[in-house]
Amino acid sequence: MKRTLISLVAAVMAVAVADAQQAPPDFSGVYRPINAFGGGGGGRGGRAGGAPAPAPPSAAPPSAPPSAPRQPLPPPTRTAPLSDGSQGRAPTAPQLTPEYLAKWQAMSKSRISGSSDSDNTAKCLPPGMPAMMNMAYGMEVMQTKDKITFFSELNDALRRVYLDGRKPTPAILDDPTYAGYSTGHWEGDTLVVETVALRDNTYIEGFTPHSDQMTVRERIRFVEPGILEDRITVTDPKALVKPWETVKTYRRMTKPPDDQLREFACAEGIEHAR
Amino acid sequence: MKMRIIVLAATVVAALQLGEAPLSAHHSNVAFAVETVLTATGTVKEWQWSNPHTWLIVDVDDGKGGKVEWAMEGRAPGVLLRAGWSRSVLKPGDKVTVHYSPSKDGSKVGMIARVTMADGKVLPNAPPGD
Repeated sequence: MKRTLISLVAAVMAVAVADAQQAPPDFSGVYRPINAFGGGGGGRGGRAGGAPAPAPPSAAPPSAPPSAPRQPLPPPTRTAPLSDGSQGRAPTAPQLTPEYLAKWQAMSKSRISGSSDSDNTAKCLPPGMPAMMNMAYGMEVMQTKDKITFFSELNDALRRVYLDGRKPTPAILDDPTYAGYSTGHWEGDTLVVETVALRDNTYIEGFTPHSDQMTVRERIRFVEPGILEDRITVTDPKALVKPWETVKTYRRMTKPPDDQLREFACAEGIEHAR
Repeated sequence: MKMRIIVLAATVVAALQLGEAPLSAHHSNVAFAVETVLTATGTVKEWQWSNPHTWLIVDVDDGKGGKVEWAMEGRAPGVLLRAGWSRSVLKPGDKVTVHYSPSKDGSKVGMIARVTMADGKVLPNAPPGD
C-alpha cells in the first residue's frame, strides 16, 4: 500500500515537472492586426467613432456576373482618422503631466496647420516602441529558444526580445534606440517582456510625447488558436500621470499571399533619395 | 571660380527639385483635410508604385473643357496589394474617378480614398475586413 502511494505521488510529481518544463508556445508567423484601419473599410486609418461605417467598397463580389446589378457604393466620408489633435485628447489616451501636455499642444497646433514636421514616420524614421506594436501593415514574428524578433512591414521596423537571461548593461542603458532593449521570460504560456533604453523623440500613441524615462512592459499570449494578444503597459514618471495600458490583437495568417510581408523601403519616397 | 561653382550647383539642385515636384513630397495624414472627400474625374498620366506612398498623376477635367494636373497620394504598395491593386492596375490613358481628401495648403495634391476605373472596378484603399 505504502509503495503504491509513493509510486502515485512520484507519478503526479513527474507530470507536474513535465508541465512546468513544457515548451512555450511558438509565436512564429505573419500576423495582421485586427481592425487595423478601424473596421470601416476604405479608410486609410479607420473612421472616427459615432459615424456609421459604410460597407467596405470591396464588398461588391468581384466574381459577380456582368449582368448582375452593381451595388451602389456609399460615398467615402473620410480618408484617415483625424490625428492632428483638433478634437483634443481622447479620454482613453495617456494622461500627460502639465509639462508634456504643453509639448503635445504645441505639436498639435503645428499638425492642425498641416505640418508633418513632428511625424517621424513621414521622415522614414522607425515608429519606435510601443507605437510600432500597432503593426498596421502586418508583422512577422520569428522565434527561437533564446530570442524573439518582431518585424513590422511599416517602415521595416525591427525589435528583438532576448530570452536567454541577459540584462541591459550600463552601456546599453546609455544608448537609447527607437525599439529599445527588450528582455523577456515565460510565465506559463505568456511571454513577459520589459523594454528599456528608449529614445525620447518617438510617440507613445496618437502623437503622445514621452521622456527618456519611459519603460514598456508587455504580456503576450495566444488568447485562442492563431489570435495573439499583447497587453502593453507604459510607465513614464516624467511624462505620464499614471501608467497607461493598451491591448493589441493580431490574427496569424496561414495562406499566401497574406502570410507574407512586402518590402517597405521608405527612403524610396524621400526627396533626393531616388 | 568658386562663385561659378556655387551658382552651377544651385542651378543643378533647383533643376532636380523642379523635376521632382510635387511627386517627391512625402506627407503624413495631417497635410490633408481627411474629413472631406471630393471627386475628380480624369485621365491617368502616371502611376507610381513607390514607397512609402504611391502616386497617381491625373489630368483632371476642369469643367471648362481644359485639363489640370493633380497628384493623388495613395497608400503603400504592400497595403494596396492586399486591397486588390497592383503595379500595373493603372496605365497612362486610363479614365478614372478619384475620391480624395484635398491638401490643407490648397495645392493640387490629394489623398486617395478610392479609385473607380472606367469598367466600374473599384480600388479601395484598405484590404477587405480592415
